[in-house]
Amino acid sequence: MCSQNYSRLRMISHGLAAGLFALAIMMTSSLSFAEDNIATLRTFDLTQQPTPPDMPKPSFTELREVRNYPEQPPVIPHKIRGYRIDLNSNKCMSCHSRKAVGLSQAPMVSVTHFMNRVGQVLSDVTAQRYFCHQCHVPQLSVSPLVENMFIDADDLSSGQ
Amino acid sequence: MNLFRRMMNIWQGLGRPSRHFSLATLTIGGFVAGIIFWGGFNTVLEATNTEAFCISCHEMRNNAFEELRTTVHYSNRSGVRATCPDCHVPHNWTDKIARKMQASKEVWGKVFGTINTRKKFEAMRLTLAQNEWARLKANDSLECRNCHNYEYMDITAQSARAANSHQRLLGTGEKTCIDCHKGIAHHLPDMTGVEGWN
Amino acid sequence: MRDTKNIEKDLGQKKGLNKGLSRRDYMKANALVAAAAAAGVSAPAAASSLATSTTNTRMKWSKAPCRFCGTGCSVMVATKNERVVATHGDILAEVNRGLNCVKGYFLSKIMYGKDRLTQPLLRMTDGAYSKTGEFTPVSWDQAFDVMAEKFKAALKKNGPTSVGMFGSGQWTVWEGYAASKLMKAGFRSNNIDPNARHCMASAVGGFMRTFGIDEPMGCYDDFEAADAFVLWGSNMAEMHPILWTRLTDRRLSHKHVKVAVLSTYKHRSFDLADIPMVFTPQTDLAILNFIAKYIIETGRVNKDFVKDHTNFRRGNTDIGYGLRPDHPLQKKAKNAKKAGGSTEITFEEYAAFVADYDVDTVSELSGVSKDDLIALAELYAKPDTRVMSLWTMGVNQHTRGVWCNNLLYNIHLLTGKISEPGNSPFSLTGQPSACGTAREVGTFSHRLPADMVVKNPKHRAIAEDIWKLPDGTIPEKPGYHAVQHNRMLRDGKLNAYWVQVNNNVQAAANLNEETLPGYRNPDAFIVVSDAYPTVTAEAADLILPTAMWVEKEGAYGNAERRTQFWHELVPAPGESKSDLWQLVEFSKRFKVEEVWPEELLAKMPEHRGKTLYDILYRNGNVDRYPLSETHHDYDNHESKDFGFYIQKGLFEEYAQFGRGHAHDLADFDTYHKERGLRWPVVDGKETKWRFREDLDPYVESGKGIQFYGHKDGRANIFALPYEPPAESPDAEYDMWLCTGRVLEHWHSGSMTQRVPELYKAYPDAKVYMHPDDADARGLRRGSEVRVVSRRGEINSRVETRGRNRPPKGLVFVPWFDASQLINKVTLDATDPLSKQTDYKKCAVKIIPA
Repeated sequence: MCSQNYSRLRMISHGLAAGLFALAIMMTSSLSFAEDNIATLRTFDLTQQPTPPDMPKPSFTELREVRNYPEQPPVIPHKIRGYRIDLNSNKCMSCHSRKAVGLSQAPMVSVTHFMNRVGQVLSDVTAQRYFCHQCHVPQLSVSPLVENMFIDADDLSSGQ
Repeated sequence: MNLFRRMMNIWQGLGRPSRHFSLATLTIGGFVAGIIFWGGFNTVLEATNTEAFCISCHEMRNNAFEELRTTVHYSNRSGVRATCPDCHVPHNWTDKIARKMQASKEVWGKVFGTINTRKKFEAMRLTLAQNEWARLKANDSLECRNCHNYEYMDITAQSARAANSHQRLLGTGEKTCIDCHKGIAHHLPDMTGVEGWN
Repeated sequence: MRDTKNIEKDLGQKKGLNKGLSRRDYMKANALVAAAAAAGVSAPAAASSLATSTTNTRMKWSKAPCRFCGTGCSVMVATKNERVVATHGDILAEVNRGLNCVKGYFLSKIMYGKDRLTQPLLRMTDGAYSKTGEFTPVSWDQAFDVMAEKFKAALKKNGPTSVGMFGSGQWTVWEGYAASKLMKAGFRSNNIDPNARHCMASAVGGFMRTFGIDEPMGCYDDFEAADAFVLWGSNMAEMHPILWTRLTDRRLSHKHVKVAVLSTYKHRSFDLADIPMVFTPQTDLAILNFIAKYIIETGRVNKDFVKDHTNFRRGNTDIGYGLRPDHPLQKKAKNAKKAGGSTEITFEEYAAFVADYDVDTVSELSGVSKDDLIALAELYAKPDTRVMSLWTMGVNQHTRGVWCNNLLYNIHLLTGKISEPGNSPFSLTGQPSACGTAREVGTFSHRLPADMVVKNPKHRAIAEDIWKLPDGTIPEKPGYHAVQHNRMLRDGKLNAYWVQVNNNVQAAANLNEETLPGYRNPDAFIVVSDAYPTVTAEAADLILPTAMWVEKEGAYGNAERRTQFWHELVPAPGESKSDLWQLVEFSKRFKVEEVWPEELLAKMPEHRGKTLYDILYRNGNVDRYPLSETHHDYDNHESKDFGFYIQKGLFEEYAQFGRGHAHDLADFDTYHKERGLRWPVVDGKETKWRFREDLDPYVESGKGIQFYGHKDGRANIFALPYEPPAESPDAEYDMWLCTGRVLEHWHSGSMTQRVPELYKAYPDAKVYMHPDDADARGLRRGSEVRVVSRRGEINSRVETRGRNRPPKGLVFVPWFDASQLINKVTLDATDPLSKQTDYKKCAVKIIPA
């Protein structure tokens, strides 16, 4: 998935704003390095305060993404606003627990989550995995600033 | 003795036809007085039925309201929001009066500081939540349905899983809203033993 | 999948299978994939059956520690065709037992950002170096020519103090060691400091002052033994997720276990808190003194322990804020020059000192309720509650950070709750080798390996002896510390400067007034070694492309004294070279006569005519192990280039410093087999708890407890007061600013922002604030605002909900976002003892943009 050609809209908008800003700055400032921006995660001169992008909306495709390798944690393809995990309750498990999936039809947490620290399989999800969002994160509707050239093992062999 | 006689006089006077006022004056006056009285009663009732009233107590402002503020029922895309009474006070009159009478107990709680600290509130959270779940379960989630009516839901605009669940469980009457949608406006109590949360 | 036997078996089977593929094949494979990617199609996946898939059998799995935080998780890395294709949690590793956090699970992608630097870039105008020129690709030779010229010119003109190096707690052990040698012995400059100064210096100061020896006495096994956990300003749920899983496991599986969380705002760790406490910034000092008073007052001092194993001391107060000397706050401070001083006192005097910190006073000062303060104090006071205190940046990035560390040890020492399973004051670390490299190797401006210091003539003599160098090689005056580096660059005192493995232009406080003017000072030549074009690279004059993580053989040391090794698993892209290669190769450019004075050289005339490479790295120690000893299954570019097993030579020379001196490391080869070992490793056995007889081989028989870092075997309990922070909100700058990290990004985001899943989970920094504070300014979630301090400003957007919930009057802004450089806003006030910056407290105003 990382070899996809990501939309660079965000970068272009950054770039446009940066260009205009840089033009304005060049007329007023003698800073000699203003024209040489190489930092790819920041397309603005170091002395500027760019307008931050709008707060992105969550992306909820409801579709499962292909994992690049077995232990890559699946991202969360749905809204989780207001879903709490604390000493009292775990909202995720109200759909993803072994018992809940009948009603919710959500995927059950994998059996690795039932294994304790020494690898013993328990009857319930291990307490060490209680805070789901330490590994599973939702995605926002933004395009990466920098493309990632990671290649999946399967794609790598077919490329030979 | 004197007092007794005076009271008897008033009582007898109430039973006698009026000597000083015409029937019209009495009727219209009574009607106007009734309006004023009813208006006053209702105004007070409605005043207690606002969020401003609810959060005038720090117990509600710092706990229930603070928690509500981050949720979709407070702030969302279209700006339609639920205030405390929208969910916690029945909309039809008799139920509302019944609920208000129950609420006198909450005044008692306020006076005696039953939940006047975060710790006490947390300790009572399960009881308070259970009361509301039971009420909503009994009235088939009436206050939810005042806004979220299954008949008018555009299932196609919902996510696939939501559409499926709503048709399968809500449409058939197998479940009512509160069965699945607990903790949507406030933090949850300890859910150990609550159905669906094990 | 997690069956350990299978992993071992796979490892056995797959060794060497990768070797058949030539570099040419690899390039071809890459070209094809790149072409496919460019055309917007992905190459079709070969039909595969699960059992016989060729992909499966061609992968090679090897262990490596995670590249990110100081927890030190181990991962299994799958490589194929000279690329990393997968990473899994390492089931054999005690630290994480197969678990990783979201960053760790995505490690396989950190090296593949499209913008990897692959050749040196020099600022040039018309074919020659120019400070104002544009970045132009050059060869390594050209790069080193210009660099050597600049270093030599600086040395000649202004002497050794005009050159400097800024390194990192992400250097491998041997990289830090090679750098330290090059600077301290080669260039004879102590101006080498790691970014760990921003991170761990106060912890080091605390350890040295209380115990006389660095690093925690306990270990991670304490998580499974404690009855109570107290988080002092630490948000482990996001910053140390795997340790948080162990803590969570303990709390949820044992109902008697309690968790107390203290912070200046609510965060994810509060979700597990039995005693959640939000306190006013800086009042942690008062809370700690209250706990000490409470322990004394309720008669629960462990009298025997205190009598036999501790001393009481009163520290100097009014010590200033580590600002420039002409700053009014510095001029006002009475003991700015004697910050570290202290005098001996009695227990009674100490008790009288803490008596002022009664519950009413401290509750009012801190904003924490009396009930909570007492509940917290009880966790420490109750003799049978085993309590683990945990802290990181909240305590360390503090203008009284060393004090705060000292005060934490006080309450563990008063009760004797230390150096045994579950009773553990535990200082966590933020970088993968803050302990292993920055601290143990001693890459600080005042340190040498194994806790030794340049000020001490005996320590210098030991180093010079091991390094086979003449007396007087190492200068005795400590060099500039990290914050001083940027000030001295600005002042024109540092003229040639090399930055490796960190992004200090994004990290160092007060970018506008110190860092940027320093880096762009025409009197300074700045070299930045990095894998990616960071903002620090952008501010440099020469950028060197650098191999990262498993593109080289390495070693890291985590927070529990565990040293872990890994092999080079894949080649670095293009012309990138490891920091080690760069350091050693650069040393070839200097004839010793060019850098040493004649009188020093006269003491060892045999060094005449040699290069720094010859005398530092071909000294009979470093080049002792032949190339043939490198592992036959793994490549080793540096060793091939230099012709000997350089990593092993450096490590074994370095290990001489600690062996027999309570810092014993095992031999080199052992670490390639083990999932790390906790030092001191004596007779092949690691040490889990130090200072306690039977658990620590360095405790003399019959002593029971021995804090052997100090000659008298005692630890110090310090009387230190609450003092206000350097800057507090006022009428104009009316809010506290606290900065920090988020789960998904590590430090400045230079690796994690390039992983699509992590970027999409948390793309931009935002200003977390209380909804009432937002309302009062006419703001709402998503509003653009200016975060303005006396030093600078950034534009950001308001967040009123989500994972961090600040109280009224405080905002939190994470620092990973290169487009929102919050270090323009932060104050470069430091702890005068540790020189560590306080990134958690300064005054700002929030204005609608």
